Amino acid sequence: MPLPAKAFQRWLHGIAPDTSMADVCRLSKVKRTTLAQQLVRGKVAEATVVSISRAFNVDPVASLAYFDTYRDLAGPLIPPRQEELVSQIATADLLREVIARTVPGADGAADSEGGVPEAGARRAVEEWELDLTPHATSVKNWVDAIDDGELRHRVSAATGIAPQNYSAQLTANRLAPEVAIATSRAAGVGLTSGLIASGLITEAEGGWPPGARRAALDRLSDGTLTALAGDRLQALGRTLRRQEQDQEQTEKIWENLG
Amino acid sequence: MIEILQWTTLAACAAAAIWRIPSFSQKKNRSLFYIFALLTLAILLSIKGPYAAIDGLLGGMNVANLLLRFIIFAAIYFMGIRIARGFGDNAGLNLIRGRSGVLVLGLVSVAMVILFALMDSEGSSAGMAAVSAKDARNAALVEYYGAAGRAYPAYVCVAILPGLLRAVGSTLPAQLRISALLMSIGAIAIPLSLLFPVIPPAAGFLRFIINYTAILCFVGGFVLIWVAKGRAARKQPAGRRHPAARA
Repeated sequence: MPLPAKAFQRWLHGIAPDTSMADVCRLSKVKRTTLAQQLVRGKVAEATVVSISRAFNVDPVASLAYFDTYRDLAGPLIPPRQEELVSQIATADLLREVIARTVPGADGAADSEGGVPEAGARRAVEEWELDLTPHATSVKNWVDAIDDGELRHRVSAATGIAPQNYSAQLTANRLAPEVAIATSRAAGVGLTSGLIASGLITEAEGGWPPGARRAALDRLSDGTLTALAGDRLQALGRTLRRQEQDQEQTEKIWENLG
Repeated sequence: MIEILQWTTLAACAAAAIWRIPSFSQKKNRSLFYIFALLTLAILLSIKGPYAAIDGLLGGMNVANLLLRFIIFAAIYFMGIRIARGFGDNAGLNLIRGRSGVLVLGLVSVAMVILFALMDSEGSSAGMAAVSAKDARNAALVEYYGAAGRAYPAYVCVAILPGLLRAVGSTLPAQLRISALLMSIGAIAIPLSLLFPVIPPAAGFLRFIINYTAILCFVGGFVLIWVAKGRAARKQPAGRRHPAARA
């Protein structure tokens, strides 16, 4: 649920008392027309608050916690789980890690016997950085990572969102902020995780320690990593194939009926 | 009320036909222009005033009504093929173009011509109401003649319906699915017209509503596709949606 305009005005006054709306928009790169429309409708998007917070060097999570809906964000933060961290690593990065571990690097030639270089050799090829959150399937991967089998039911019971609408959000890699929080709550994980997965805030803003994802990746055994990367590839393949089929079908429609 | 519906449908079809003129001159899907030109003509012939005028030219024997039926057949034949092709429905395409489709079209056409010849068709009247009122024999003939005229469009619509419903439930872009939904409504409404004989005369207006709504749904479905295509062509192919912006 977007934030009430009145509370937003109060909050904005708190962080930028002497700044005109035009300057707020200029600094935060929120479109003026967008903000004006949100204010007229009385519903301000969470993303607006986050953008403005960043522009004024205020912690976005603390800003969200200013609003009643997100009050719980102010509470103590549960640290991210291993599975959550791994779920927020892009598929391409997982694959890169698989390659880095299996192909002996420059220094890894010595221990190519098993095909898997030892930790020391692994470090040598590890100069690359993980891509920033979120990735193309981050929302669905996150929910899958924390799902105990009943999570979706609990979320839809708690929020009143129909299960198929929830699934549709996940597939579209979208998650409304309040649904993200409800999901976190239903799974008993940190409340910021879903906001990170949906791209509303960065992992640092969400309180994930720097390098946490990298460390989680390093903790994965070769077998787990490879299986996980395989699952991701398979899911990606299915999605791509469906997109290709839809594209083909759409072109057929253009061609015959357009 | 019914007049408004008739003229609205006429205007919609005429507008659709005009919309196709640029594509027609560029030789793109010319049959769509013919479909809408035929439909426009068909609707014109189903409205009292224009019908009387045209039938008068043709000798005042209601030949215009027979002409109207064949115009509808032609329009629905081409439209069915286009839609089945567009939505990748080979089964539907075969039902229309294959042996059974040709058989149904042939039988219905022959039956219609024979029935027309048997009745005393003197005296122009839209929908042959005046002919039907002459005596019981003519009334029965008009009824069967009308049923035959509705049978072929119903057959084509039943043939394309499964493909359309599949498209509605697919993961295609929303506009195309809405378009398929509109066409599905049309394809359901037209076979319903076979039930016309059991509609009580008091509710006769239902006939008009079903017929013209069906046509409007098809026109709407096509227009939606053209609009969507225009939009898709204008904007760059959208990349995968990436949620929210990063700092």
